[in-house]
Amino acid sequence: SARAEAASSRKPRRKDWMKLIYSTNLSPEQVLREGAGVSEVEAVEEDEGDDEFFKIKKRATGDEETLDMSKEPLNSDDLKQWEDEEMLDSIRHLFITGSSGSGDN
Amino acid sequence: MASLGTIVHFSGHYHFRHRLVLSILSGKSVRIDKIRPDDKNPGLRDYEISLLRLLEKVTNGTVIEISVTGTAILLKPGIIAGGSLTHDCPLSRSIGYFLEPVVMLAPFSKKPLHLTIRGITTDDNDLSVDLIRTVTLPHLQLFGISDGLELRIKKRGSPPEGGGEVQFLCPVVKQVKTLNFVDPGKIKRIRGISHAVRVNPQFSNRMIEASRSILNRYIPDIYLYSDVYKGEESGKSPGYALSILAETTNSALYCAEATSKPGVAPEDIGLQASRALLSEIKQGGCVDRKHQTLVLLMMTLGSEDVGRCRMSAPTTRTIQFLRDVKSFFGISFRVATADPSDPDCVQLLYSCYGTGYVNANRSLA
Repeated sequence: SARAEAASSRKPRRKDWMKLIYSTNLSPEQVLREGAGVSEVEAVEEDEGDDEFFKIKKRATGDEETLDMSKEPLNSDDLKQWEDEEMLDSIRHLFITGSSGSGDN
Repeated sequence: MASLGTIVHFSGHYHFRHRLVLSILSGKSVRIDKIRPDDKNPGLRDYEISLLRLLEKVTNGTVIEISVTGTAILLKPGIIAGGSLTHDCPLSRSIGYFLEPVVMLAPFSKKPLHLTIRGITTDDNDLSVDLIRTVTLPHLQLFGISDGLELRIKKRGSPPEGGGEVQFLCPVVKQVKTLNFVDPGKIKRIRGISHAVRVNPQFSNRMIEASRSILNRYIPDIYLYSDVYKGEESGKSPGYALSILAETTNSALYCAEATSKPGVAPEDIGLQASRALLSEIKQGGCVDRKHQTLVLLMMTLGSEDVGRCRMSAPTTRTIQFLRDVKSFFGISFRVATADPSDPDCVQLLYSCYGTGYVNANRSLA
C-alpha cells in the first residue's frame, strides 16, 4: 500500500551487523566503519597476487604494536568533548536524578 | 589426555588470549601461526609465553608446542583443574592481562581456584586489580557465580618495577545461568578507588577533588575512597591512579580509570578518569565496552535457552570474539538494534541460544 511504501522510504537503512560480522571478510575496524544502508558489501581486498609490488599495509608501518588489551587507550579527543557544559548536561537523563524533574530520587 | 581432534587455526598474535580461552573451554585444539614473523623480534613475547605457562598450571593435561622460532604454537587443551597456585608475572604486562583469561576459566574448574599472582597491579593497558575486583567479578554474579568469589589485594605494585601481589579465589559452578539483561536502569551511585604509592599521599586527594568537580553535579551518592598501602605493601615504584565505576538501579556497571604519567598533574588524572567514565556512561547499555567479551562468553556457555543482553556497539575485539566463538562453538549471535521503533537508537540487543555447557571437571566431593 502507499502507506507502507511511505513508511519504508522514511526508515533509514539499518546497519546489518550480523551480515557484516559473520558473512564478510571485513576486518573488525572495517565492520565498524561500514555505514547503514550499504547494501553491497565487498570482501576485503587481500594482496591478490600482486607480488611485483610491495603493498604497505597500515599495520606494518605503525611502529606500535597492537596489544591484546581490554581497555581502550584514553583518547584525548574523546575526553575533550566533556569540557563542554552542554555535553555534560546531555547525559543527566541517564541518572536517577534525571533532568525532567520527574520527582524520583 | 589431550586428543588432537578438530584444530582451529588462526594467524597473527592478535586476540591471543580469548583464542586460548575458547580452545580450553571448547576442548578444541588451536594452532596459531605467523606470530610477528616480520618483526625485529619475531614470535611470542615474554608475557605471552608466561600466559601459556599460567594456563598450563591452571589446567591438567594441556600440551603446548611452540615452534623453534616462536612464531607458531599448537595448544591441545586439557581439563581445567584449579586448585592452589602461584604465578609470577613478567614486568612487561600487568596482572590484569593474566587474570582476565583466568577469570573466564576458573568457574569451570575441577576444584575451586586459589591463585596468588604477583607483578604490576595497575597500568594503562589492562584492567587494574581494582577494576577487576569491583567490576569484572560482579559480572560473573550475573551468571550465578558468586559465593566465595573474591580478589584480595595484598600488595600494590606500580610500573616499571611492580612488586604487587593479589589473591584470586573463585568458586566452581556446574552450569551458567541464562542472562536476560535488557534494561540498564538509571545510574544511582558512583564509587571510586584512588591510590598513591611511594608519592605524596596528597595526590590521592587531588585526584578525588578533581573528579568530584565533574561528577558531583549528577547524583549525591558518590564515594571516592583513598586506598592506602605503605611500606613493603606499596611495591617498588612510585605511582598513583583513580579507578571509578557507576552503578545503575538494575546493577549495570560502567567503569574507567586513569594512571599517573610523568609531567601530568594528579588533577588531570582525576579529570581523565572522570571524563572516560562519562564516555562509557554515554555509550550506555547493560554492560560496558570493557566487559562485552566476558558477558558474551558466559552467554555462549549458558543453558540451552535464549540469552539476551543490551549493549553498545561492539568494539573491534568483540567483533573478532563473536567470529571466534562461532569457530569454536558453532554459535552465532543475533545482533540487532535494541529498539526497532527508534531510528536514533545506537544500542544493540545481543542474543544467542546457549550451548548448555556443563562443567564436567567439577569434582563432586
